[in-house]
Amino acid sequence: MEKSQIQPVFSVSDFIAVVNQTFEYAYPTVEVEGEVASFKVNQGKFVFFDIKDHGGSIGCFMTVWQMRVPIEDGMKIIVSATPKLTQWGKFSLTVKSLRPSGEGALKKSFELLKTKLEAEGLFALERKRQLPQIPQHIAIISSTQAAGYADFIKILNDHWGGIKIDVAHVQVQGTDAPDQMIRAINYFNQQESLPEVIVIIRGGGSADDLSTFNDEPLVRVIASSRIPTLVGVGHETDESLADLVADVRAATPSNAAQILVPDKVEKIRAIRIQVSSLLPRMLQIIDQQKQVINSNLSDALETVERCIDEQIRRISSFKNVLAQLDPNTVLARGYALIRGVSKVGATIEIETNKVIMGAEVKNVVKK
Amino acid sequence: MSSKNKSIQEKTIELTELVKWFDSSDFSLEAALDKFKQAEKLAAEIEQDLSSLKNEIQIVKQKFDSEN
Repeated sequence: MEKSQIQPVFSVSDFIAVVNQTFEYAYPTVEVEGEVASFKVNQGKFVFFDIKDHGGSIGCFMTVWQMRVPIEDGMKIIVSATPKLTQWGKFSLTVKSLRPSGEGALKKSFELLKTKLEAEGLFALERKRQLPQIPQHIAIISSTQAAGYADFIKILNDHWGGIKIDVAHVQVQGTDAPDQMIRAINYFNQQESLPEVIVIIRGGGSADDLSTFNDEPLVRVIASSRIPTLVGVGHETDESLADLVADVRAATPSNAAQILVPDKVEKIRAIRIQVSSLLPRMLQIIDQQKQVINSNLSDALETVERCIDEQIRRISSFKNVLAQLDPNTVLARGYALIRGVSKVGATIEIETNKVIMGAEVKNVVKK
Repeated sequence: MSSKNKSIQEKTIELTELVKWFDSSDFSLEAALDKFKQAEKLAAEIEQDLSSLKNEIQIVKQKFDSEN
């Protein structure tokens, strides 16, 4: 019997290993888009779901730690995964990362995470810290090639000077962006000389581009930063979870610079007004003091006049009393003044208003 | 601290305090002219600092694209 062409005979385990090796070679990483079905989390660690479209369905596996955005059944997502044949012969995708696909899914994912983080109190007003009034050392996390970064630096330089600015150049969109920003935030938080504020900026972009700022681990790291945070992402109407969790939210990167420092032109004008108001103020005070002195002088004069009048009145009164006591006044009223000794036979002198008479005492009787 | 070494913010605070003095109960005409001259000098310094100071931008050398 002629031997047929030699075919390798695999054990089941070996065959599974060879298939997986082939997958690994052919598709080291594959991105698959589809709708989530049968989503479940086992033991709080392992995530299982199917990804499907009208023509098929594939089982997916990942850990909860890899799932950076929440998903639920019906959401359209894109998974980045490695195909694998399990030891039970079941084909599945081992998911490394996933992201919502399409506006509806992005919005849904945003709302799910927003609700979750809100319930944890991450957006609470009590958590918000004030930014330093005029910082002298700031950290920026952005792409130095981004228009938003250029806008921020321009406004900052126009508005204020003397600030030490450390810039962490990172990607601000794409799958690597959240991790890069997380590393940059951690880097600044570990510095010996801490910046006074961390500014995270990026200009406008599509909802997909800006979804980087809805990444759960990134949002949590912003929330836990010991350095106060200022986030200015996209345009005024864009809202990201990074905005909501930051200590201060700026509508745009330019607005972030305006929030961070005052405008030196305004400041110079205010200082000029402040100082120029001092001279009129001094003159006003001198005038007020003059008035006070004049008023005091006038009061003093009045007092002196009053005292003099009083004295004149008193002297006049004394004069009246004295006039009443004058013997001539008494004589004029008909009385007489008698001089001499009250003894019988003695000669006495009697003075009236008009004459002085001599007389002899005839009789003396005690009263 | 000499006036040269003070930050713009410190000078601004000092100027505000000087201006407040003119409305305070400590005000005296004898001291007012000196205080006014001080305020004028500070304001000129702040204006000079604001106009001349540049920001110092430094790109961090550390790479953030992977764990280091």
